[in-house]
Amino acid sequence: MGSVKLNEIKAVSYDRAEVIKGYTDRSLHINLADNDIRIDSIDAAVRDKFIGGKGYDLWFMWQAVKGTTKWNDPENALCISAGPLGGTPGYPGGGKSIVTTISPLTGAPIDSNVGGYFGPYKKFSGFDVITLTGKADQDVVILIDGIESRIKIFNAAELPDNAYDLSDALTRYFDEEKPVNISVVTAGPGAENTFFGCLNFSWYDAGRKRVRYKQAGRGGTGTVLADKRIKAVVARYGAVSMKSNQPADLEALKTVTKTHAKEIHDLDPKQNRMALVGTTHLVPIMNDHDCLPTHNFKFGSHPGAAVIGEAVYEHIFDKGFDGCWRGCAVACSHGVKDFSPFTGPFKGTRVFVDGPEYETVAGCGSNLGIFDAHTILEINFYCDAYGMDTISVGTSIGFVMECFENQLITAEHTGGMDLSFGNRLNTLELIHQMARGDGFGAIVGKGIRRMKQIFAEKFKADPAFMQDIGMESKGLEFSEYITKESLAQQGGYGLALKGPQHDEAWLIFLDMVHNFMPTFENKAEALHWFPMFRTWFGLCGLCKLPWNDIVPEDNKDTKEPAKVMKHVQWYADFFSAVTGRKTMPDDLIAMSEAVYNFQRIFNLKMGYGTREHDTLPYRAMGPVTVEEYESRPDRYDTQLTDTYGMDITGMDTAAKVAALRKERESQYEQLKDAVYDRRGWTRNGIPTKETVQRLGIDFPEVLEVLAENGIQ
Amino acid sequence: MIQVNDQPFEWKPDMTIADLLKQMPDVRFCSVVRLNGKLVSSPRFRETRIPDNAVIHLLPLVAGG
Repeated sequence: MGSVKLNEIKAVSYDRAEVIKGYTDRSLHINLADNDIRIDSIDAAVRDKFIGGKGYDLWFMWQAVKGTTKWNDPENALCISAGPLGGTPGYPGGGKSIVTTISPLTGAPIDSNVGGYFGPYKKFSGFDVITLTGKADQDVVILIDGIESRIKIFNAAELPDNAYDLSDALTRYFDEEKPVNISVVTAGPGAENTFFGCLNFSWYDAGRKRVRYKQAGRGGTGTVLADKRIKAVVARYGAVSMKSNQPADLEALKTVTKTHAKEIHDLDPKQNRMALVGTTHLVPIMNDHDCLPTHNFKFGSHPGAAVIGEAVYEHIFDKGFDGCWRGCAVACSHGVKDFSPFTGPFKGTRVFVDGPEYETVAGCGSNLGIFDAHTILEINFYCDAYGMDTISVGTSIGFVMECFENQLITAEHTGGMDLSFGNRLNTLELIHQMARGDGFGAIVGKGIRRMKQIFAEKFKADPAFMQDIGMESKGLEFSEYITKESLAQQGGYGLALKGPQHDEAWLIFLDMVHNFMPTFENKAEALHWFPMFRTWFGLCGLCKLPWNDIVPEDNKDTKEPAKVMKHVQWYADFFSAVTGRKTMPDDLIAMSEAVYNFQRIFNLKMGYGTREHDTLPYRAMGPVTVEEYESRPDRYDTQLTDTYGMDITGMDTAAKVAALRKERESQYEQLKDAVYDRRGWTRNGIPTKETVQRLGIDFPEVLEVLAENGIQ
Repeated sequence: MIQVNDQPFEWKPDMTIADLLKQMPDVRFCSVVRLNGKLVSSPRFRETRIPDNAVIHLLPLVAGG
C-alpha cells in the first residue's frame, strides 16, 4: 500500500446544520471546475414533495443538467442523499445512500441504492444531499468533516488506484485513532476505463479491524466519479445514536425499531438465514424454478448450481457481524477472509472479499457457465477493487460468450482468447483487460448496447440475433433473473425507469409460481403498487430486504399477503416517528408516485422515456433459438396448443419458435398498455397532464417537457 | 413425529413434502421449505421424502433481489 500524500487546495469552515426530524434542510454543492463549495437551504416545498434520498437527488440533478447533457459533460451531477430515516441505528436496513447521475450506459438518470456509512455520516455532518459537478484538472479527494465542520479538497497525486487499498489508506489517514468515524466513496481503474464503473461505499468493521465495502453498482456512477477526476469522497463523523436524527417521537421510534429488529432476529433463522448466508439462498431456489441465468440467460438451471449456492458459501463466509449499517439485524453483508487470488495484481496475496451476493454468483457464475465458488470470489474481488459493477460485467461477458460460441466473434477479435462458456481464466483475463482499458476488454467494458454496434459494424455480426440475445434494455444490462415464464416480471424489467434492474418490481414468484395475477389488469396493478412502494425505500435511505425477505408468521392470514402490510404499517410508523408527519401506508405510495413520475419525465427530458424505450430483447420473453425451445419442449408445446389453441402437428421447431414469439411479443405490448393506463400515462408511456397535476409535480419546467412531447 | 414451523406433526413413512402441504391450511405462497436446514423448492416437493424427526420450516414468500 502506498503512503498517502494529500495537498490541500481548498478548505472552508461551515456552521453545521442541526438534524431535526431527519432533515438538515441543507444541500452541499461542489463544482470541481473551480473548486466552488456552496451550501444552500432546501425549501420546505421541495422537502414535502421529494421527501429525500432519490427524490432529492433527482430534483437537484434536474436543476443541474440540460436535456442535451451527456454523462461526461461537466454539468452532469453526481448526487448522493440518505433520506430522512437514514442513519437510524438498530432499524434493520436503516443506513442506505442513494446515488444518481446521468448514466454512461443509458444517457438518462440512473439511481443506485447502497449500504455503508457514508450517507448517514454526510447527513449528520450537515447535508441532506450533496451534488458534485464540474471536472477537476487533477485527481482530487473531497473531505466532508462533520466533526470539525470543515470541507476540504485535496490534490491527490500519489494514491493507490484500486478501491480496496485506497479506501483503507484514506480511512486511516483521516482518522487513525477512530477509523470507525470514516466512510469513503471510491471507484477504481475499472471505473475509468469502462462504462459500468461502480462506487464502493465503505465502513470500518471494528470487529475485524478492517475497511469493508458495499457497492452502488448500477449504471456507471463510478465512471462519472472517475471522469470528474474524483479519487474519493470522504465523510467523517463521530458517535451516532437514535437521537442523531432528532426524531419527532423518540419513544415511538424506539418501539418500532425494537419491534422490527426483534422479528428479524426471531424469524430470519427460520426463513432465509440471511444473517448467515446473505442472499446466496436464492441460488438453489432460482435454479430449482428454472430462473437462474445460465449461459447468457439461455437456460434457467444447471446441475452445477449446487456448488455455488448457500450450501457452499455458508462454510466459506467469515463468521461475525456483517451489517452494512450499525445494528442492522439482517446483517447480510458477508465476506471471505484470507482469499488468495490466482490471477492479476493481487495474485498470491491474501485479501478479504466483500461478497458475493446472489447477483454476483448468478451473473459471474452460472451465466458464464462458471460453477466454481472460488473463481466467483475472485471475479467479485477484482470487480470491487477495480470499481466495476458485477451485474453488468457478468451479463456483458455472457453476451460475449454466446457471440463467441455462435462465431459472431472469433479469437481473431478477442486477442486470441477462447471465450466459450465456462472458461474461467479467460474470463478473469477479460476483467483485467477491462480495468486497464486495453485489448478486447476495452470493447466489452462499453456494455452490451455499444458492443452490439461494434460487433455489427466492425465484425459483421448479425445485428438481429444480437438484439435478441443481448440482455440489455435502455442500455443497462439485466440483473440476474430469467423472466421467460413471467410476463409480469418482463414488465418489471422492461418498464423500470432506469432499465432492467429488479429493485422496482420482483414479481416472478407471485406471477409464475403462484399465478397470483392472471389478468393484464392484475399485473398492471402489481406493476403500479410494487414499484411505488419499493421506490419509497430509496426516498428514505432504507434497504428493502427487511420488508419482505423476512415475513411475519401470520402474514398468510392477512388480506394482502404479497404486500406484507404489517411491515408496511411499521414503515409508516417509522416515518411518522422520525419526521412528525402523521403517515399511513397509502401515504407512502403517494410520496413515491410523485417522484416516480418525475423520474419518468426526467427520462423524457433527456430524450428517452417513451414506449419505444420500454423494449426488451426477445430472450427476456421466450426462447430465441431452436436449442432453447428444444430444451423445454413440453412446456412450449403445451403453451402453443393449450394456451394459444394452435394445431402444431407437422410444425418444425423453428416454426414453433416463431409462433410462440408472435404471441409473447403481443402479450408484452398488451401489458404495456395496461400498465400505462394504470399509471396515468398515455399509450406512448408519458404521464398525462392530469397525472402530474394530481401528484403536484406540475412545475412549469415539467409542463414544458411534456408540451415538447405533445402533452398539453 | 416431525416439527413443522415449530409445531409437532405426525410423520408417516414415505411422506413427501407435497403430502405434508396438502394437510396444511393456506400454503398458497409456500414454494420453498427448509428441510433439516436444506432448501427444497416446489418443483421437488413431490419427490422429496421427509425423514422421521425432521425439522421443517415453510418459507412463506420468496421475495427475490
